[in-house]
Amino acid sequence: MKIDRRTVLGGLAAAPLAGLAPGRAFAQKAGINYWHHFTSTTEFKGLERVIALFNQKYPDIAVTQENIPNPEYMSKMTAAVVANARPDTCMVVAERASDLVAMGGLVDLTDRIKKWPRYGEYPDQAWAGATVNGKIYGIPAFTFVDWMYYRKDWFAEKGIAPPKTYQEFLEAAIKVSDPSKNRYGLSLRGGAGGFKYVLDLIEAWGSPIVRDGKNAMDKKKATEAVDFYAGILTKHKAAPPSAPNDSYRQIMEAFKTGQTAMVWHHTGSLTEIQAALKPDQFGTLPMPAGPAAHIARLTYLFNGVSNPAKTDADMQWISFWAEPEPAIAFLEETGYFPSSPKVAADERITKNPLYTAAVETTKFGRLPPTFVGVAGWSETVVLPEFQKVLVGRATAEQAVDAMMAGLDAALK
Amino acid sequence: MTYEVAHGPAKTPRRARGVLARLADVSETRFWAYYLLLPSLVVILAVVLYPTLWGIGLSFREMRLNRLDLGTGFVGLKHYRAMIEDPVFWLALRNTVVWTVGAAVGELALGLAAALLLNRELPGFRAASVLILLPWFLPNVVAGHMWALMLDPRLGVINDMLVRVGVLNVYKAWFADPDTALASALVVEVWHGFPFFALLLLAGLKAIPNDLYEAAAIDGAGAVKQFRYVTWPQLRTIVVAAVVLRVISLVNSPDIILILTGGGPGRSTLLLSLHAFLKVNKEFNFGYGSAIAVVLFVLLMGFSYLYVRLSNVMRD
Repeated sequence: MKIDRRTVLGGLAAAPLAGLAPGRAFAQKAGINYWHHFTSTTEFKGLERVIALFNQKYPDIAVTQENIPNPEYMSKMTAAVVANARPDTCMVVAERASDLVAMGGLVDLTDRIKKWPRYGEYPDQAWAGATVNGKIYGIPAFTFVDWMYYRKDWFAEKGIAPPKTYQEFLEAAIKVSDPSKNRYGLSLRGGAGGFKYVLDLIEAWGSPIVRDGKNAMDKKKATEAVDFYAGILTKHKAAPPSAPNDSYRQIMEAFKTGQTAMVWHHTGSLTEIQAALKPDQFGTLPMPAGPAAHIARLTYLFNGVSNPAKTDADMQWISFWAEPEPAIAFLEETGYFPSSPKVAADERITKNPLYTAAVETTKFGRLPPTFVGVAGWSETVVLPEFQKVLVGRATAEQAVDAMMAGLDAALK
Repeated sequence: MTYEVAHGPAKTPRRARGVLARLADVSETRFWAYYLLLPSLVVILAVVLYPTLWGIGLSFREMRLNRLDLGTGFVGLKHYRAMIEDPVFWLALRNTVVWTVGAAVGELALGLAAALLLNRELPGFRAASVLILLPWFLPNVVAGHMWALMLDPRLGVINDMLVRVGVLNVYKAWFADPDTALASALVVEVWHGFPFFALLLLAGLKAIPNDLYEAAAIDGAGAVKQFRYVTWPQLRTIVVAAVVLRVISLVNSPDIILILTGGGPGRSTLLLSLHAFLKVNKEFNFGYGSAIAVVLFVLLMGFSYLYVRLSNVMRD
């Protein structure tokens, strides 16, 4: 074969085109990316199993997952929306939905979802978490059901019955506390994320938060609630002194290492607790009932579409999470509850006594407060004001005054 | 010419030569230096000046990403007025001053001590001068988490040591007490930042001629006087530059505080930079966040100008 200059130049010119050939073949497989804030090993195992099952069913769609730590999730989503570099699909916690929709970060999927065959399987409440101004922005993937863990062995030692109300809870917390032995009743979450329980107790004492877009807080009831909650540390010394700075990791370590007798969290931490304590050492209970309402949250995490470019493939991915196989696979790895009641009726859940409290909670649990600005108000006003009460720099009444003023400003 | 005729019209080489000739002409003019600077100028304008001006402009506009119904119009000094009336702003400003002064002074003192120690030609000191830089190599996030664990009220090794030597009776929750939270965070920051000063000051010490010390010794100056009249004046320019750089970094970076305390408890460790971060990333209020950033910018400019003027280094 004669190789002249023309042949070499032609070959060089063709090389990039030839290089594109496999890429073109690959491009026929739709690629979508998925932003989430899973962090633990169990969560990643669960996600991998869901992706593997999805790949079996939809070999033509390649899902690329990208982890963003939860505290930075909204910052990254905000930056992605501003820079128009959105992910195709993303995980959304119900209380963030309003903010994300308001900034144009989620695609309205109402028509598609209403035509989806499993639409009717979910209760209205499940859709409410993904609905903003009457439009649906995603499909519930799984649910965090609030509950509490308690040290069964300590309670048995002291002859204490599992508490059903906050009053019983307080009495139990006081009885098991012995600061001289570094033993306390409750892992009180006063650090990052701690605002959640402040709002829960305020509602449990009978004060709404927002009604019809307006501040509906009842100062007297909210003050009683904050006073009760902070009092667990300040008056009764039934929480560790580190409580004002304790966030998820600290409250869990305190419970697992035997510093505290009770911790409030949700079903998502069951595998972690199971790995640390023996079955006869701990039990699960529904959250205590307040004087006015029994509050426990059902936090639906839904998957939504942020980039409208590939909606067909996106819909297949986000709806896949609702199918029984991936939902149960995810539950097995993580302990996270399926969002569909039909799937949650699976006997692997109903026959497990540890899940009894969660199944019971699904009957009365409610969504967290959702309104535009709730995340900012909760984190930059509710939490620091509550911390001030915990460290003795403000009274419960002063804290509630500041929370109400902050809420007015957030809703203005 | 034969070449051009044989190969037809050769316009490109002629044009190229024309361009080169014109470039050669321009390079002889007094504007040539400016033309050479032009690409750099464009880059600076694009990546420094434009974002800065845009950020300043944002502070005079309404921009809440979760309240697009409010529009993005010009609101004048609204955010600045709100800032003046916001007690959290003043608290954060006070904390920022304490944080910056405490960290800069602590880091300078420790850095100077380390540099003076490492300046001695003793065995093993060369390796030590590298090891001492390790805290500076650690990313803020890693350093923050590491210290959070070491100061943990349940598992922390520092609490354990303090209890063992009898300084404490029980483990202390350093970051849960507003009286100790900022001071504890300052310890972490000083540990993390002092190698910056140590490195620069050590370089400065190495550059001081030995003759000066010999002359001072002949004049009867002891170690203290040698430090006062030789070392410190020779290091002053470096100290001023390092302090300005470090102060800018301390004022602008809330990451260690964010990890250790999140600004709490009860905002006792909230810094202005963190306040701006929370306004933007939690409340999505870009206008107000930008106004805080502009105030920080002006404060830093003012500080740098006054500090350099008062320290007289430019006059030297």
